Amino acid sequence: MVFNSLTFIVFFACVLGMHSLPLPWTTKKINLLIASYLFYAAWNPPFVILLWVSTVIDWYAAQGLVKARRQGARHAWMLLSVIANLGMLGYFKYGQFLLDSFSALVAGIGVAYHPAHYDIVLPVGISFYTFATMSYTLDVYLRRAEPAKNLLDYALFVTFFPHLVAGPIMRPTELVPQFAQPRRATGQQLRFGLALMTLGLFNKIVLADSFLSDVAERVYDSDKLPGALDAWAGTLAFSGQIFCDFAGYSTTAIGAALCLGFAMPDNFRFPYAAVGFSDFWRRWHITLSSWLRDYLYIPLGGNRHGAGRTYAALMTTMLLGGLWHGANWTFVAWGGLHGLYLAVERVLRARFADYRPGPLVFVLLGILTYTLVNVTWVFFRAKTFSKAWIVLRGMVGQNAAVRPILPTFSLISVAAIVGALVLTHWLMRARTLESVVARTPAAVVCLVWAFMAFLIVIAQGSGSAFIYFQF
Amino acid sequence: MMRGDYARVTAADRPGVAQPVPLRPVPAQPWGRILLGAVLILALLVAGWEEYWRAYGAKPAFANSFGLWAMQRRRIDHGEGDATVVISDSRLFFDLQLPVWEKLDGKRPIQLGLEGTTALVFLEDLAADPKFTGRLLVGVAPQVFFGGHRYRAGALKYFKKESPSQRIGQWLSMRLVEPWLAFYNSDYALDTVLKRQPWPARPGKTWSMAVRRLSVTEADRNTYMWDKVETDPDYRALMREIWLHDLAPSDDDPPPAKQQENAMQQIERAVKAVHTLQARGVKVLFVRSPSTGPYLEYDEWYFPRKTSWDVLLARSGAPGIHFQDYPQLQGLEQPEWSHLSHAAAEQYTASLYQIIERDFWGPAALATRGAPQSAH
Repeated sequence: MVFNSLTFIVFFACVLGMHSLPLPWTTKKINLLIASYLFYAAWNPPFVILLWVSTVIDWYAAQGLVKARRQGARHAWMLLSVIANLGMLGYFKYGQFLLDSFSALVAGIGVAYHPAHYDIVLPVGISFYTFATMSYTLDVYLRRAEPAKNLLDYALFVTFFPHLVAGPIMRPTELVPQFAQPRRATGQQLRFGLALMTLGLFNKIVLADSFLSDVAERVYDSDKLPGALDAWAGTLAFSGQIFCDFAGYSTTAIGAALCLGFAMPDNFRFPYAAVGFSDFWRRWHITLSSWLRDYLYIPLGGNRHGAGRTYAALMTTMLLGGLWHGANWTFVAWGGLHGLYLAVERVLRARFADYRPGPLVFVLLGILTYTLVNVTWVFFRAKTFSKAWIVLRGMVGQNAAVRPILPTFSLISVAAIVGALVLTHWLMRARTLESVVARTPAAVVCLVWAFMAFLIVIAQGSGSAFIYFQF
Repeated sequence: MMRGDYARVTAADRPGVAQPVPLRPVPAQPWGRILLGAVLILALLVAGWEEYWRAYGAKPAFANSFGLWAMQRRRIDHGEGDATVVISDSRLFFDLQLPVWEKLDGKRPIQLGLEGTTALVFLEDLAADPKFTGRLLVGVAPQVFFGGHRYRAGALKYFKKESPSQRIGQWLSMRLVEPWLAFYNSDYALDTVLKRQPWPARPGKTWSMAVRRLSVTEADRNTYMWDKVETDPDYRALMREIWLHDLAPSDDDPPPAKQQENAMQQIERAVKAVHTLQARGVKVLFVRSPSTGPYLEYDEWYFPRKTSWDVLLARSGAPGIHFQDYPQLQGLEQPEWSHLSHAAAEQYTASLYQIIERDFWGPAALATRGAPQSAH
């Protein structure tokens, strides 16, 4: 079920009620596990089987890793986990994409190959929970973590509903230890958790769904040629939409976990105030970027084997990171662009190692970063390369015979919301939400909370899925 | 970028190591009082919003949502496949009153109409569903049917992929929200309200306003005209203004030849679906509900009866009722030219039912016409 639904409100109230009952800790954990399976089954019950498969394979792989005496056996257990998880991901997410790409490739050399259409439903959140379970086996393999003491704790780590379908992608060392001791939210944690959930849902329902998604759709899903203003408005709207959608999910998830007494890591640190792309990736989808860094970039050699190997590892990581987001070459292009940006930045940093920008240049570099990030969003949002080129051409004013697409209200709402969003990121770039809330008068916090909740109610969200569910 | 610039350390700052249990500090604030205050203010704001819309004339009603549509569509697959089913754009959806029909027939039809959406979408769906063996009323508003408009065709996909969570949400909404809150209507949603404010026009961008609320929907999708359209002259004038704007020629309109080609494609698809249904014993009856004023002029100009409606009946072999052929279906009150007022819809339903029983589906008509059906 999605957080922005009536079903979730009732579900969450039941879970909170159950979790506050004076029951043994093991019983409470079993309750949470059952609730998490129900949360997932509420989309498509049969796909719970996939969760079980992933859970059981990694549980036994980690057990096998601990018991293995030879390095070869350790490798084998690790590979079993990786192949099983990536195999599952490949079958459900990339099967049709690989077949289509292969057909296009052989068509290029004159061979007509038309495979049957797959028509496989993508299990929601599969990219997230397969990465979480793989991190468990890989951490045990890399001797960074001990295996979980019991299957219940491990299964709950994989399935815990706040992070299950769209992250933050948890590592076993972040969550499994929290299941060792009885946990129940304090009154303060419960209330602040509810405030965080309100903030997250406000981002999703009010900003992303009610105002920004429609603008992006009008530009990206229309067959009209956009001029510069429309192309930029549509792209800026999408930059705001995807942040509010995904950061909104993460904030709601963190709040939900906190209401139950559990801590989840930050997934965003005001990314649109990034200066440079290494900074951007330390602020955007942190749990994925650090996952890719730890389990892909570093094993590929990282920056320890010379410049050539470093750039190759960087590009490979970013291209695969792009593909993780969706089975489409446009996502690969998105990742490739980010890889290119990171590589260029690396060259420039080496070339101008002693340069320290002044305040004005610093802000200008931030604006440049945000502008270039927006160029990458074009490939992320456009369904095809031809559409991406049309929007890019529009952004540089090269589309001929254009007519206005967006009405005045759309332009105003994008300017107001995205402008406020970017400004907020700059004001908050070296702060935390908690530190700002702590310094704000209680009456203001109360008013802001009530007003956000009111806007959520009157926005009448349609319960639309979060964008990252499809990944 | 210096790492010291980050206010809190995350996994981004700890490469290649086991990530520790995160810290989630709670800001020092009197959260109990803050929550209580927020709840009170929220309650006041929501009560004010509700009062505002009630004063405007709104009353609690069921949302004409995909979830509600799916509930009715499911009835066909769950034991009511022999029912009388209505598929239509907004005309027969608003104009056919289920209580009146039930009173005359003893059985309440299943209403599957959706505004702005050609019945063809649902005709093809039912043709492909062997569980449907009943009687089918197919509403035809020329602009929507022959133009192939699919404004809310997503209902079908929603029905086929509806998750347990969505079904539960629909059930909860129909008990906890919709019967109580007048403002719970897409016409009063925050973005909709803001969008229709008098923003300055953008040069080169033609003015457009979304259709405003026209109807009230009940739990089984029986739908009728909202009384504000009938009784509030300003609101009715606004409805007419929106229609006039929609009906005006636009640069986006397909050329007439393309329009006719498109209409023929719609007809061919309808013919195929009707033949499939008839082969299964389903009685299909097309219904052209009344329109008047500029809307009627538009319908007749773009889709003349001879090249659209008559062709549909002739090609499909299914009978049809065109309001212009029956005096009792004419001269009814149509406040905004396209749909009947609530009272007129009740009168129209009774007349329509009597015509159908007399000429098409009643025992005498069947004895005369025989099966399979022939064109009217």
